[in-house]
Amino acid sequence: MEKKDDNYYIEKVKNGQANYFSYIVDKYQDIVFSIALKVLRNREDAEEMAQESFVKAFRSLHSFKGKSKFSTWLYRITYNTCISETRKKKHHFIFTDDVQIRDEAEELNLDGIPEENREKYVKAALEKLPEDEYTLVLLYYFEDQSVDEISRITGLTASNVKVKLHRVRKKLYTILDDMLKEELYAIL
Amino acid sequence: MKTFEEDLELKQLLKNVKTESPGSDFSARVMKQIFAEQAALERVRKEPVLGKGFWVILSLFAVLIAAVALSPGAPASNTTPALLSEINTDAVMTGYRLFFEKLGGLPVSIAGIFLATSLLVFLEKILGSRNQVLS
Repeated sequence: MEKKDDNYYIEKVKNGQANYFSYIVDKYQDIVFSIALKVLRNREDAEEMAQESFVKAFRSLHSFKGKSKFSTWLYRITYNTCISETRKKKHHFIFTDDVQIRDEAEELNLDGIPEENREKYVKAALEKLPEDEYTLVLLYYFEDQSVDEISRITGLTASNVKVKLHRVRKKLYTILDDMLKEELYAIL
Repeated sequence: MKTFEEDLELKQLLKNVKTESPGSDFSARVMKQIFAEQAALERVRKEPVLGKGFWVILSLFAVLIAAVALSPGAPASNTTPALLSEINTDAVMTGYRLFFEKLGGLPVSIAGIFLATSLLVFLEKILGSRNQVLS
């Protein structure tokens, strides 16, 4: 079956066929939920806020003019919904920003990690990032959003996004490097 | 030193990492809420903004105005129902006249404020009934 793009389903929903919105939910639920989970740090709250984000998107779909990518628009709703929720519930962010970035962490070196375990390590390293940096990684690396699009989603300036992406890359390398060393010491 | 844009190795590595997924019934739950909201919205759309009570009162008022307009002019005392004969109708009529005389003496701006307030209350009722479903 021919795969339709987002605009096809959006137009259907705008014309009153709400059931087509399920395609949108199925396509974006993982990323929306991942953003919510990282910000709220609780699966139950994250599911609730992810659901809230989709419902908000549905309600204001008529205002989506297609000038930006639908995903950019949806992630902005998700990000704002989750940030508002943390403020409302007076959630305290758990700052995991205690990683000391090392200048030598410039290159990715995963030679010591078997291929099948790499995903586990990278996932663990991502877990150690604070929510704002994790969201940047998610949007840039997983979702192929451009710096300008990320800027629109997060409200950061484009230059700030670039600086943060550069920093978070080095931080990921440092975390992975530390994990590798720990693993090595454990073996020895 | 590579920039983050040039670091395709990291990009490839991260692409292979699976993101978190919500529960299996997540999509169904979202759609259930959306259908419920849509049904409620449809209900409100079909509901007349002005209820039956409003039209009954308006009709009665119209009948009253028509009756007053069509009835031949007669002295107030003659039209007073027997039940009210004990009441001092002259005093009532004087009070009634005075009230409207004073009302007529009010500046036009006050009348404007009353009119605008009524209009805003009416609009609030219409918009409130539309937004009820979305809250």
